Amino acid sequence: MADAPAIETVDLGKRFGSTWALRHCTLAIPEGRVCGLVGANGAGKTTLLRMLAGLSRPSTGEARLAGHPPADDPAFLGGIGYLAQEVPLYRRWTAADHLALGAHMNPVWDDDLARDRLLSLRIPLDRPVHRLSGGMRAQVALALALGKRPRVLLLDEPVAALDPLARREFLASLAGAVADGGVTVLLSSHLLPDLERVCDHLVLLADAEPVLAAEIADLLASHKRLRAPTRDTSAIERDHHVVMRTQTPREVTLVVRLAGPVVDPTWQVEDLDLEEIVLAYLERRVDEPTLALAAVR
Amino acid sequence: MTWLLWRQNRSRLATGAVLLAMFALAVVPTGVHMANVYDEAVLTCARNPTCAYAGNLFQGYGAIVDLVHLTILVPVVFGALGATLISREAENATNGLVWTQTVTRRRWLIATVAAMVVAAVLTSAVVSALVTWWSGTPNSIHGDRFQGAQFDTQNLVPVAAALFAVALGIAVGSLLRRTVPAIFVTVGAYVAVRMLVAVYLRPSYVGAATRSVPLGVDPSLPSGSWTLRQYITGSEGRVGNRGISIPTECAPSNPVGRGGPAVDRCLGKLGFRRVVEFQPASRYWHFQLVEAGLLTALAALLITVAVVHTLRRDA
Repeated sequence: MADAPAIETVDLGKRFGSTWALRHCTLAIPEGRVCGLVGANGAGKTTLLRMLAGLSRPSTGEARLAGHPPADDPAFLGGIGYLAQEVPLYRRWTAADHLALGAHMNPVWDDDLARDRLLSLRIPLDRPVHRLSGGMRAQVALALALGKRPRVLLLDEPVAALDPLARREFLASLAGAVADGGVTVLLSSHLLPDLERVCDHLVLLADAEPVLAAEIADLLASHKRLRAPTRDTSAIERDHHVVMRTQTPREVTLVVRLAGPVVDPTWQVEDLDLEEIVLAYLERRVDEPTLALAAVR
Repeated sequence: MTWLLWRQNRSRLATGAVLLAMFALAVVPTGVHMANVYDEAVLTCARNPTCAYAGNLFQGYGAIVDLVHLTILVPVVFGALGATLISREAENATNGLVWTQTVTRRRWLIATVAAMVVAAVLTSAVVSALVTWWSGTPNSIHGDRFQGAQFDTQNLVPVAAALFAVALGIAVGSLLRRTVPAIFVTVGAYVAVRMLVAVYLRPSYVGAATRSVPLGVDPSLPSGSWTLRQYITGSEGRVGNRGISIPTECAPSNPVGRGGPAVDRCLGKLGFRRVVEFQPASRYWHFQLVEAGLLTALAALLITVAVVHTLRRDA
């Protein structure tokens, strides 16, 4: 049990009419990770998170979170915390009302944790939430999700509506909240730099399918840009996985996932940052790369 | 769950209680007063043969009568409240909030729907009890209790109607998931169903009774009966719309006149009869039970639809 992934999906898919919002999604995210879920708008991030939260039924495949398949069952519901994209709260309720909701509707509830978080962020507990700022509302919703002490925390674009400063504060406070271990977080965003700051794992969705799922450190170590005067690249392609190639009459540039050291010293090997790696995968997949690029940036 | 229901509905409960109290305050004194006036009039009439027609007794009571008849809208209010029950959560995405707490969607749904239904039934029962009691005096003066506000605001039917309306609202809200369209569709569908039932189904819950008397004789139906239809028959069967060509022996002395009691009596002697189809007053409770049963069955069906649909579909 200790080695079972906290979030596990096998061929998970969701179809709306004739379009697949997500398919062939097989993932295993180890316990304790903060996993970023990246992709263009419409790539299937929300669909995946909603299926994991049990709010939406898969068309194919299955999932397990902390050992339980998503179901209308307290054993599953008690183990997850979910924060939807819209940051839904009862408008006229105060933050204190929402904490009371958490206390009354969850057998496990850490009221001190939730209350102290909001107090330390100087969020007034006695004011209707529709009179709080967007950042404060997101914090109230996060406190509600954290208070039930979930094993898995699913956050759908929690920072999308926030200004850069509020975004930074929110992510910092999230990182603090999950630092004491045990919680696995899956956090979606189309803002890669935000995720880079808090995540140690990354899942990339493109065209409704996962194209990349790995530890960020491993991704950075294994992906390189190779540059050389134009030549036959079949040797490299045999040994390594070429993600993207661009060629001019004089020079060829490859983004590769290395399967071992690069033997040929005529290749100039350069490091890539996470954004460059992600873009390489997206460009490879999409015939008209401009749309996906714009969204990811 | 109890806490959530209380927190979400406490202000509505308070509003409802205040409105009910105000209604009772208007209805109870006037009801007592009307009963006294009526009893006095009946006593006076017994001693005085030139008694005024009792129907004139309560002229000038328009406002209170209107208020009492307005209770016909209580189910509409509950229909609208029911329509927002699930659609408001869906519209604000708060269903995703409550359904990811450790209370299951099934439990949340059953508790929320049950609370709404109980509120509709209790409120309409209190209103109906007040209206039924208040209407004791007007009922003994005015005709049948099978139609309009009298049938729809007294005894069982208003309670069943509120139950039906709230169930309709919950079902429509769960299907449409938008509050404003759900309210409009609910109110429209409620009014349509009630009117269709009243016009096409209610007259034939039981086969009509028939009474046939010679023309010119009072058919003297039991007091409070519901007259569905009446017509005149002659030797060649039913007299159509063209009317009767009056035989010479019955022709009125004044040629301008169009008949009158004397002519009717004369035609009656010649074999013309007046036929009345009616529902006797004694069937009132049967009618109340049939209509209440019908509305309750529809409500059960609609609630099942709402619950099954909400449990099955994605949030």
